[in-house]
Amino acid sequence: MEGMIQDPSQPSSQPQPPQQNQAVAGSERLNKALQQQLNLESLKTRAISLFKAITRILEDFDAYSRTNTTPKWQDILGQYSMVNLELFNIVDEIKKVSKAFVVHPKNVNAENAPILPVMLSSKLLPEMEVEDNLKREQLLQGMQNLPIPSQIDKLKARIDMIAAACDSAEKVLADTRKAYCFGSRQVPAIHPTLDKGQAAKIQEQENLLRAAVNFGEGLRLPADQKQITPSLPLHLVDIMPATDGVHSFTDSSGMYMKNSPLMSNNMGSQGSLLQATGAQLISRSAASPAATSATSFDNTTTSPLPYANSPRSGTTMMNTPSPQQQTQQLQQQQHQQQQRQKMMQLPQHQQQLLAQQQFRQSAMQGLGQNQLPLHDLQGQTQQKFQSLHGQMQFSQPLGHQQFQGRQLPPGHVQHGIGQSQLNQGNQLSRHLGQFSSPANTALFNAAQGTPSTQMIPNMSATMSSQSLLPRMQYGLPGSNPQRTHGSQILSDQMFNMGSNPGGLMGMQPQQQQQQQQQQQHGAQGAFGNMGTAQNLQSNMVALQNNPNFAQQRQQNQQ
Amino acid sequence: MECVVQGIIEMQYVEALEILLQGLCGVHKELLRVHEICLKSGPNLGFVASEVKLLCDLEQPEPTWTVKHVGGAMRGAGAEQISVLVRSMVESKASKNVLRLFYALGYKLDHELLRVGFTFCFQRGAQITVTVSSVSKMLKLHATDDAVSVTPGIQLVEVTAPATSENYNEVVAAVSSFCEYLAPLLHLSKPGVSTGVVPTAAAAAASLMSDGGGTTL
Repeated sequence: MEGMIQDPSQPSSQPQPPQQNQAVAGSERLNKALQQQLNLESLKTRAISLFKAITRILEDFDAYSRTNTTPKWQDILGQYSMVNLELFNIVDEIKKVSKAFVVHPKNVNAENAPILPVMLSSKLLPEMEVEDNLKREQLLQGMQNLPIPSQIDKLKARIDMIAAACDSAEKVLADTRKAYCFGSRQVPAIHPTLDKGQAAKIQEQENLLRAAVNFGEGLRLPADQKQITPSLPLHLVDIMPATDGVHSFTDSSGMYMKNSPLMSNNMGSQGSLLQATGAQLISRSAASPAATSATSFDNTTTSPLPYANSPRSGTTMMNTPSPQQQTQQLQQQQHQQQQRQKMMQLPQHQQQLLAQQQFRQSAMQGLGQNQLPLHDLQGQTQQKFQSLHGQMQFSQPLGHQQFQGRQLPPGHVQHGIGQSQLNQGNQLSRHLGQFSSPANTALFNAAQGTPSTQMIPNMSATMSSQSLLPRMQYGLPGSNPQRTHGSQILSDQMFNMGSNPGGLMGMQPQQQQQQQQQQQHGAQGAFGNMGTAQNLQSNMVALQNNPNFAQQRQQNQQ
Repeated sequence: MECVVQGIIEMQYVEALEILLQGLCGVHKELLRVHEICLKSGPNLGFVASEVKLLCDLEQPEPTWTVKHVGGAMRGAGAEQISVLVRSMVESKASKNVLRLFYALGYKLDHELLRVGFTFCFQRGAQITVTVSSVSKMLKLHATDDAVSVTPGIQLVEVTAPATSENYNEVVAAVSSFCEYLAPLLHLSKPGVSTGVVPTAAAAAASLMSDGGGTTL
């Protein structure tokens, strides 16, 4: 049995109908074949065939029992032994197969014998042996005479060092990768994202910036901040003294030159009075009496009568009317000059009437212009206050027919504001009583107080004051609008917008200069449909008129 | 006509952007300090208010003035496909009386701003100008010395190139391709379209600022 070689490919012996030897022969396997097979399949086949054999026998037994024939016991025993053997073989086969998974001795036979020595040899191939020796030489240089354990230790140390170097190199690489945000090789790069709050902030800032650059939003100054800075940047200083929204002004000297011949127009050009020229005209008119005085009135000084038209007061750029106004004045120049001359010759009251007419006309013309220079109110208001104040002061005592060469007695000139001006106003009020209307008074003062070239500005200033005065009175708080005066009615017709500012101006007549300036600012707001500078000038005129009508005002307010 | 795109960049990356632009443009930067005065005509001058910008270059020893009118942008389906804004623009140098002139004409000051930064002008398919500037507003009228930045941490980047109606396509292409080079640091878009910042700008800036790894960042 054992010597028999079985073809491994064939399944082990199939137990045929009872045979004695053949089933046994099928169970023999070569060990090699066992290794190939791992034959659960063949085992299964054998087990199935064994099972079939057993069932066949059992069927035979059934047949025997049915037919009541005595079976041939030798045959049955023979079949049984056959089946038994087959089962034993299968079990043995399994054992052999299981042995294939564990080391088991290989049977040496004629075929195996020659190769066995080679396979059993553990010696390296020649070239492999040389390489191996070489590497060993390299590794164990200098250590071969040492005992083995120390050699082992040294080799271990070497290995550790190399391992440490590798680790540090890896670390540096990782750090650099992180710093450059390249991402580790192993992990895919994670894109840095802004958190939402930060992104929202940036978005908001961006919208601000884009709106500002493209549309100018957030850059517009509110009206109350549209004051020219005292010190313009260099590139603007010699170009424009002007402020926002208003005409730019040429340098003052040039303007003055233009203004003087044009001042005749101002008498009638109410618009210009209301506008930029208002303040300057007031100042000019105020200064006119003092034109020939020795003192040089500079607008920036607190001299009593800053002479706006004087060549010496060259820095009052505020007082230069806008080019628009100038052109308008130019247009009216001839006509106005004629009228002016006429006026100068006329008796006083007629002059006043004429002036009123011209005033009215010019008011109509000039209403369209709403541009006033915004100037430094502080310095100017004082001056204008004083100038007009001075004018008012002197117009009365100096008589009627003084058009030129009037000089302000210095004693009368007061730098004061508020109270002082009120006092002066009170002084004037005595004189004012002589006239039927304050408007006439103002006009008269203007007519009196102006030398030829300056009369016009003065007149215009007083005209403006005249116009504003009634307005102011009209608008006095707490007081019913007083339309008793013809001038008031006149002004009401002419200045539809005027009441409130005057009222605002008149509200606090007895305050200090600062408060007056505040008043101006306050009233400035009230001139909604007028230019801001225009309002200011009107305010200033109104302020200037305050002292003149202190009585009335006091009466109204107290 | 001009082609224009705008973008924003955080202040910390402006230096990196400068390095990038220097490399791309091949020219040196020019410092920029411009006082922009925007004037608007009043209703008495016409039915539609018109706007005029006066630019005063304060960087020169003698301030030079430029008058500029920016018109409407190109509209239509074609314009929407272009990533660059094409709009009409007329510009001219002017004497220093230009402000007075416009005031005399009846224009009023609408707003003003101050731009401080640098600019690169170069030729790359078209005459391109890149301006990186911080925009400041003036709290008081014309007070350029006391200007306050509108957005303290963010600067505006503007890429413009003049064009005519015949060649604006080429100019648009040139500007677009140039803008792609700036993509690592900032997004550029038509004015009025907000972009946000580039999240990886930090990395790009770091790589631009570092000198090849010899120094620690």
